[in-house]
Amino acid sequence: MRTLAPRSRIAVAALTLVVVFVSSILAAPTTRNGVVLGLALDGALASLSVLSSRDLRKRRPTLARALGSVVVVDVALGATFFFSANTNYNLAIGAAMAIVLLGLSFLTGISGQISLGNSAFMGVGALAVAIWANHHASTPLVVTLLIAVACGAVAGLLLGLPAARLRGPYLAGMTLAFAVAFTAIVNSFTSWTGGDAGLQLPNAVTAPRWMATLFDSQSSPLALNSAWLADVTIVAAGVSFFLMANLIHSRAGRAMRLLRDNDVAAEIVGVSLARSRVLAFVVSSAYAALGGGLWTLINNSVSPPAYSFALSITILSLVVIGGIGTVSGALLGGVIYAYSASVISWITTQTGLNPQGNLASQLNGIIFGALLVLVMLFAPLGIVGLIRRLHRRLASKLPG
Amino acid sequence: MEPATTSTAIAFEEVSVNFGGLQALSSVSFSVSSGEIVGLIGPNGAGKTTAFNVACGFVKPSSGAVTYPVSKRHGLRPDQLARSGIARTLQGVGLFPHCTVLENVMAGGQIRPHGGFFAGIFSSPASVRAERSLRDDALAVLERLNIAAVAPRLPSEIPYGTAKKVSIARALMCDPSLLLLDEPASGLDGAELDDFAHLITTLRSSMGVLLVEHDMDFVMPLVDRLVVLNFGEVIASGAPEDVRRNPDVVAAYLGVDQ
Repeated sequence: MRTLAPRSRIAVAALTLVVVFVSSILAAPTTRNGVVLGLALDGALASLSVLSSRDLRKRRPTLARALGSVVVVDVALGATFFFSANTNYNLAIGAAMAIVLLGLSFLTGISGQISLGNSAFMGVGALAVAIWANHHASTPLVVTLLIAVACGAVAGLLLGLPAARLRGPYLAGMTLAFAVAFTAIVNSFTSWTGGDAGLQLPNAVTAPRWMATLFDSQSSPLALNSAWLADVTIVAAGVSFFLMANLIHSRAGRAMRLLRDNDVAAEIVGVSLARSRVLAFVVSSAYAALGGGLWTLINNSVSPPAYSFALSITILSLVVIGGIGTVSGALLGGVIYAYSASVISWITTQTGLNPQGNLASQLNGIIFGALLVLVMLFAPLGIVGLIRRLHRRLASKLPG
Repeated sequence: MEPATTSTAIAFEEVSVNFGGLQALSSVSFSVSSGEIVGLIGPNGAGKTTAFNVACGFVKPSSGAVTYPVSKRHGLRPDQLARSGIARTLQGVGLFPHCTVLENVMAGGQIRPHGGFFAGIFSSPASVRAERSLRDDALAVLERLNIAAVAPRLPSEIPYGTAKKVSIARALMCDPSLLLLDEPASGLDGAELDDFAHLITTLRSSMGVLLVEHDMDFVMPLVDRLVVLNFGEVIASGAPEDVRRNPDVVAAYLGVDQ
């Protein structure tokens, strides 16, 4: 074990404090304000430790990523205690979507492949959770979600093996075929999947008792449970983002960037092309399945028609709008998706459109389409790319 | 660095390659020993590039075999070859355009241990340490070639001669026992050529070098031995002076220049 630089020691000490703090909160939570205060302190400590050591990212990259995730997750968790049930629902849906976006962003931006089938992989995860829960109702949440991830990974492997031989439009075509076939496949196993009607969870995910004690006795169970579901999703997203950041900066992640840039040169430095391509496909599918599984928990049911090809297009647009191949772009895409429902309903009420009408039901596609065109015109690298460009321009103008 | 030995780094044994009806190589045999610089020359279409691609596993011989004593195996895939100590450069520069120069060189250490998927996604301490030492080694190789200053740049932002050095730096990262250089002199000017010739001479202390080259002024003083191909056959091999006087070679190739 190498000795740590003094500033890194501060960071490690801070992380220890963070862990102690969180565990003490979880062990004996008393009031809602106590938890929020704890989260705030915890986030502040993590930010402080990141700031206290300017070269932390270089010296202890994993620690820096962990602290970064803790800060963002803390802020989001704290917010769920104040949000309305509806906002928490949107937040949860968006956080789950961010996981899916991250998977596709990785596949497209880092490994240089494309998938139009991620809606179907979401569907695989969503159905896996519903089917498992209907047979084993008492399985812990984490295990159920991991089963969804495993199902998504296996599906990704099955599609990824032949897909590793295809490039560009051919790969897009094959994954598109999977996305289109998914609903048909689901309908041919109605006894398992419930067909178009889908499946209900046998019992809704409810907040654990310790969390209920944090809320006023007047709080509706709905508010409590939606806050809990948002918290679960945020933590899942935090873990997913942390792991993906690790992967992107690791040698396995570099292998994927190398073969994206120059596959002949990647092969001569020892990257196994097929293996890396399939692996990227599996990771992307597993992330999509986790997002889909979380959607089932949030909605308390799964409706297979929701995982149609149109969702794949929305996912791809959001990845492009956020910024392909960037972790923050996926997060941004998730936020946009979380708010798109509210924005659309706002537009519907403002313009007096019939909410059940033809135009209102197409608004989603119209808005994402317009946003996509704007981004492609003015910021081809997405919003994150635009921000980075502006930042670089500012930095070059400032002296020093 | 190990002292130079005289073990064989690569041997072609009666290698033939057919592309459809075209005989690209017919019964080509030659070898490169560790510590030796061998030049593979011949007129355009003589089969140099095919021979080179067979050497690094991109093309499978139709008959005959290429043996690499290092791995005691033959018929390996390119990535398996890289694992057994064979490094090559590509025609031009063959760098990764969206990765920095440092990352391009680090790519040469892709096959080192602790670089697996799970080590990466969970950021295991061993993988972080391996990554740090990989970075240090890449910087050291850049220092050794006097191009450490361009480490944070992209390949598109550096001069061509420097980019060629980066591609050699990348090849050196896996401590190869055999280095295959595809047209190392192409696109370089006078001073850069001298620099390159010097660089290649310093490499022979620890490995065998096989290079394909058009530029005779560059090759002649540099190599220990020449193998001359014409129409897919070895028409001459030996010391540069002998080859230069060989009437077949003069007729087939060098005569064109004189």
